Amino acid sequence: MTCSRRDDGETCLVTRINVMPYRVLSHTADTGIEATGDSLASLIEELATGMFGLVATIEPMAAERWTKFSVESPSLEDLVVDTLSELVYLSETEDLVFCAFSVDLSPGALAVTMEAGGVPVAAVEPSGPPIKAVTYHRLVVEEREDGWYGRVYFDV
Amino acid sequence: MGVVEYQRISDVVWELAPHGAMTVPGRIFASETLMDLVRLEHAAEQVANVAQLPGIRKASFAMPDIHWGYGFPIGGVAATEVDAGGVVSPGGVGFDICCGVRLLASNFTEADFNTHREVVMRNLDQSIPRGLGKGAIAPGDLVPEVLARGAAAVLDAGYGWEEDLERCEEHGTSAGADPGAISDHAIARGRGQLGSLGAGNHFLEVQVVDEVLEPSAAEVFGLAEGMLVVMLHCGSRGLGHQTCTDQLRAMGPAMSRYGITLPDRQLACVPVRSPEGDEYLRAMAASANFAWANRHVLAHAARLAFAEAFGISSEETGMRLVYDVAHNLAKIETHDIDGRPSALCVHRKGATRAFGPGHPDLPEDLRPTGQPVLVPGSMGTGSWVLRGVLDNPAFFSAAHGAGRVMSRKQAKQREPGRLVRDQLEAVGISVRPGSIGLLSEEAPYAYKDVDEVADVCARGHLAAKVARLRPVGVVKG
Repeated sequence: MTCSRRDDGETCLVTRINVMPYRVLSHTADTGIEATGDSLASLIEELATGMFGLVATIEPMAAERWTKFSVESPSLEDLVVDTLSELVYLSETEDLVFCAFSVDLSPGALAVTMEAGGVPVAAVEPSGPPIKAVTYHRLVVEEREDGWYGRVYFDV
Repeated sequence: MGVVEYQRISDVVWELAPHGAMTVPGRIFASETLMDLVRLEHAAEQVANVAQLPGIRKASFAMPDIHWGYGFPIGGVAATEVDAGGVVSPGGVGFDICCGVRLLASNFTEADFNTHREVVMRNLDQSIPRGLGKGAIAPGDLVPEVLARGAAAVLDAGYGWEEDLERCEEHGTSAGADPGAISDHAIARGRGQLGSLGAGNHFLEVQVVDEVLEPSAAEVFGLAEGMLVVMLHCGSRGLGHQTCTDQLRAMGPAMSRYGITLPDRQLACVPVRSPEGDEYLRAMAASANFAWANRHVLAHAARLAFAEAFGISSEETGMRLVYDVAHNLAKIETHDIDGRPSALCVHRKGATRAFGPGHPDLPEDLRPTGQPVLVPGSMGTGSWVLRGVLDNPAFFSAAHGAGRVMSRKQAKQREPGRLVRDQLEAVGISVRPGSIGLLSEEAPYAYKDVDEVADVCARGHLAAKVARLRPVGVVKG
């Protein structure tokens, strides 16, 4: 495990090393990822990491700029899609590729507050085309005996 | 639901009889070879899923370039009867609303290009924003006007030529557009992207008319053997992607109110005659206007790039618009169903409208021939200009490209981008990639044989062959 700390020293972002946190799923035209997490919050962080891992390879410690947003959704699946979609929007309008994520879940509510850190697009070498959108195709978000599992496909 | 259940019912048509929740057959246009490729993935299953849409008529069609999409297959065509509970589905249009292809003729030959090749390619490389990140030709403050008026708005701002609009599907302005239906998020994404190519399979290519198969139609289109032409492929960029995202989010809860259940949530839909359906169509049309304007601005930049390279005015380049056609749209059109004219919501997801001769929506000079249908292939092979025919059996629709056969990951693993570039350069195709590392994702081997796709279009009476184009220069996202 490794830990990277934001400039203000308040948030510890944890990422696994030597363990693939997500897996890229093959699709003829587009692409998908599946990921697991100890909690719903960590699953969302892994899926976000995987989504931007399709675009560029960046270490979490490299994050230069941070943004924070909240999302509220009618279901677990929507919560994941809406959170990732907001990241796609922010990435495009703020010209950032995100690489570090911290999720807070509101107890008892389908609501997420996320802090996302990224680096300017101009500073990265792309590893795949930009994400156009997050789809509902073959979407899975579920709690299993050994933790949380998610599968998401993207339009690229 | 297995692809093995599809039965060949004629030379290039394969059918899956309706069963389960399907209300119409699934019908795929493919040769034996192309059908073998369809069997390798999930696209045929998606054709069957689309056959469950409320109000769908005739069949759930798939064009010869069909491949696995999300919800709808890429290459899918579905028409629902508006006054019989027919639905509109954002997934039947896709995230890249009004993605399409624009083809410019020119006064140049391949020999002319070869004498100025390096400067032309350098100019295009520098003037066509593309790839990851911001970058656009036109200012973002044009976006509100563009949403309302499409290509006409950027024409008034000094981009392109007046006569261009005559050769655009819908004259470059989609009817019923409502800028008020576009979210602030979508506008924010669009502001920095008006006049930008994007990435992935989007491109600008310099091509040569290599072979003319129907000289009379080619002449009407303004094409001749040996002519240098420019083709570009792109859509509504982040503005359209966000609009589809917004609309899909709203449609989830709405579907349950209308009692609609489907096997894939990406097929989310609502009745055309519903407040949600009406709002989607208004938002879709506004996003389409962004796409028409986007291609218009890029074409203008291409003209300037050639004009500067040759030291002439852009008018002297003769880079007239042959046609601009969308392949990701839903449209209300009138078609015969059971011998009566019916209003249908025709979804074309990776399929090109292909009106036959005499259609009233075509400009007068194109009515004798039918609509130009632009079918780009991969960057190393060729592209086709087809034309609409009267006996098209799929709501006047045809293919929109070669169709992928390999995932991006597989394609990238097979060869590095530099090798793909070197191979293309070795056969006389100049390549200016947005990212050399991503070039192999779009390598020719990742696509089906576009000649076979065009051949099936002709054999299946989807469209007739007019001319084959050969690439000599590629600008990729």
